[in-house]
Amino acid sequence: MTNPILITGCGVVSAIGNNKAETLDALLDNRSGVGELVYLKTEHKEFPVGEVKMSDEEMRKLMNIRDNAITTRTALMGMIALDEALKDAKITPEMIPNIGFISGTTVGGMDMSEQFYLDYVNNEKHKEYIAVHDCGSCSEMTAEHFGKFAFVTTLSTACSSAANAIILGANMIRCGEADIVVVGGSECITKFHLNGFNSLMILDTKPCRPFDATRAGLNLGEGAAYLVLETEESAKKRGVRAQAILSGYGNACDAFHQTASSPDGEGAYRAMQEALKLADIQPDKIDYINAHGTGTPNNDLSESQAVKRLFGENVPPMSSTKPFTGHTTSASGSIEAVFCILALQNGFLPVNLNWSQPMDDGIVPVHQQVKKELKHILCNAFGFGGNDSSMLISKPRFDELNDRPMAPEPVEEPLYVLSAKQISVQQPLCEDWMTQPVDYQTPFNRSIDPSFKDYISPIEARRMGKILKRAIATSKEAIKTSGLETVDAIITGTGYGCIENTEFFLEALSKDGEQMLSPTYFMQSTHNTISSLVAIQTKNHGYNVTYAHKGISFDSALQDAVLQMRLGKINSALVGGHDELTPTFYNILKKGGMMGQYDEMCGEAAVSVVLGTKSDNCLCKLVNFKMLHKPSMDKLKAIAADFKADYILTGISGNHKGDEAYLKETKELFGDAKLLKYKHIFGESFTSSGIGVYVAAQCLKAGKIPTHLFVNPQEATEKKPSNILIFNHSDGNNYSLTLLEA
Amino acid sequence: MDELIYTLKQQIIEALNLEDMKPEDIDENASLFGEGLGLDSIDALELIVMMEKNYGIKLQDPAKGKEIFKSVAVMADFIAKNRTK
Repeated sequence: MTNPILITGCGVVSAIGNNKAETLDALLDNRSGVGELVYLKTEHKEFPVGEVKMSDEEMRKLMNIRDNAITTRTALMGMIALDEALKDAKITPEMIPNIGFISGTTVGGMDMSEQFYLDYVNNEKHKEYIAVHDCGSCSEMTAEHFGKFAFVTTLSTACSSAANAIILGANMIRCGEADIVVVGGSECITKFHLNGFNSLMILDTKPCRPFDATRAGLNLGEGAAYLVLETEESAKKRGVRAQAILSGYGNACDAFHQTASSPDGEGAYRAMQEALKLADIQPDKIDYINAHGTGTPNNDLSESQAVKRLFGENVPPMSSTKPFTGHTTSASGSIEAVFCILALQNGFLPVNLNWSQPMDDGIVPVHQQVKKELKHILCNAFGFGGNDSSMLISKPRFDELNDRPMAPEPVEEPLYVLSAKQISVQQPLCEDWMTQPVDYQTPFNRSIDPSFKDYISPIEARRMGKILKRAIATSKEAIKTSGLETVDAIITGTGYGCIENTEFFLEALSKDGEQMLSPTYFMQSTHNTISSLVAIQTKNHGYNVTYAHKGISFDSALQDAVLQMRLGKINSALVGGHDELTPTFYNILKKGGMMGQYDEMCGEAAVSVVLGTKSDNCLCKLVNFKMLHKPSMDKLKAIAADFKADYILTGISGNHKGDEAYLKETKELFGDAKLLKYKHIFGESFTSSGIGVYVAAQCLKAGKIPTHLFVNPQEATEKKPSNILIFNHSDGNNYSLTLLEA
Repeated sequence: MDELIYTLKQQIIEALNLEDMKPEDIDENASLFGEGLGLDSIDALELIVMMEKNYGIKLQDPAKGKEIFKSVAVMADFIAKNRTK
């Protein structure tokens, strides 16, 4: 039984074109889109960039969006690429509710936040943009232009975000979660990361020259690209053809440094090796490698080493297309995947522009265009923190692929919650909240922190924000108490990422201007810093990704772990949900209607859960899980029927205006089940659904549900609970259901 | 020079968030990176920002930092010769 993953359509926008046809033209003509800054308002005119050649207004016009609509540049570019991808794959609007959308971005709505930050802090102006600051709302804005997708989530692993979105989409298809998933990423250039990369001193003032002896850094670019992934059966039924096959992919963590790659390219080596292994293809079958090749001295040397380790003397033709587009950061994985599809379809090797002198110990890239038939292309995308991914894109030749099972069929076996630890507004790293919950009268509270000295050395801790320390402490405790030596994967969810350092950087940018910004603030501001630091601290080279999608960030991470266990790819995972809040950001988000409405209690949450396939010493079983985006009540009811439980842990906060509707909906779906709550003591936070899983797991382990968790305290009982469903309806758009059993 | 060395130590502690340290704890002749204080490449970048802010010295090539940040004494010497404020 084979299940190839077909790519039945794609769309792209970047500095070299607003669609596939223009892109192909530029690639064949060796025409770069990198040049002087035009659209971004910045003092740094000295850096060449690869901007998409349209203003926001022009993009809105192209997408038929009214002039005064709330949009972000990342979402607009995303819409343009998504529009082309959907049309290319002949997807009609009525198909959308059965299709998933997975996008990668890191800047989200930062282009607006960096303009209006002081207004957000000081007055009421532009407050309507606050709600589109985060990565998740950016993906939803892109998706909603086309209808209601079945599920929507967001990967944020810096420069490998889009590649990891592609990997998740493929895993969902292989597990039978969907027949069609649209995957990719979008990212506009912002002052925030232009200055951030500048503070790291990795920008070149000349056009970038990957793999050249004189290379001196990267040029930033922007753009978006999406691929339509589809099962063979679905494509046959619809009468659409595969443009290419996603025949393999790999993700590994370099676990070396937050902003630098290891000298031997360990993460990159593992990611590429895994992609080949999944496809069961020998290295000598690879016809071309589209390198990550940013043009920084560090990346190109490290990537060269990784490639040489894997291919030995016979390195296939390789080039970086970043001199065409600049480094399109979070979108680069899908943009370059589209370049690879174009190369496959048209039989040519894209040129590594601007290259003239070989570097010491490096590969010699393709520097003259070669026309030849290509069958298998490896496409690399690496991110800060060593989040390295590689994709294998092949020419559709079913006769050859048919006898190559991509992977075993997914298995439906129960998974186990081996351990769960939290740091929150309750006593940290313990279950005191069961009997003696800390009581709060104020709407916003910061976490109670343990002493971090036991987990992180002071020299390492000095640059870390609170969120990072809490993540490391809960992760180390969770692994320690799981009974496992190490975990196969580290998967993290965070709604807003490292807010504290983001705030420091935004404030400095807004008040002091674009000079002399702190590299520490910048490098600690990216969402995937959390997951990659945990990997560095625990020396873990396994699968490593970060989700940043509002109230289902933790849930998305949990889903990823479940999928990969079903595919037999991993046997254990550390799933984290981490969010912090500062007084300033609390007030901003309250102003933007994002949280703290009606003075509900808000908090911070750090929760780390270890999932495994073996039951030894577990807290409870995880028997079912599902995530939904804007489902109809009928669809929700149909799903709920598979999630019957005695107890439903709801996300009501106790004093929110929406509580009543939440409870009514829960009763309509689950009938007489007894309702529980947890946010009355833990507060609201973006990853509080992780706390929900923690609370339910600990109650099942203890064989008792504390009376104060019951919505109706009269229903409290001494009876041992046998199951609890965590029903998360987080932000009006997204739902998740997690069923745990004793 | 002693005054500059002392001020520099204070500025290093602040820039690198070396919370538990006092200027007296830093040996001006000991190496800042590797064996000495155990600082890394991000600290070097922070020191470049700090030198620009406080002394108006713009370092274009991060690799140059390796020589300048050998020790506090070497750094002070470089600053004394190149400062613009």
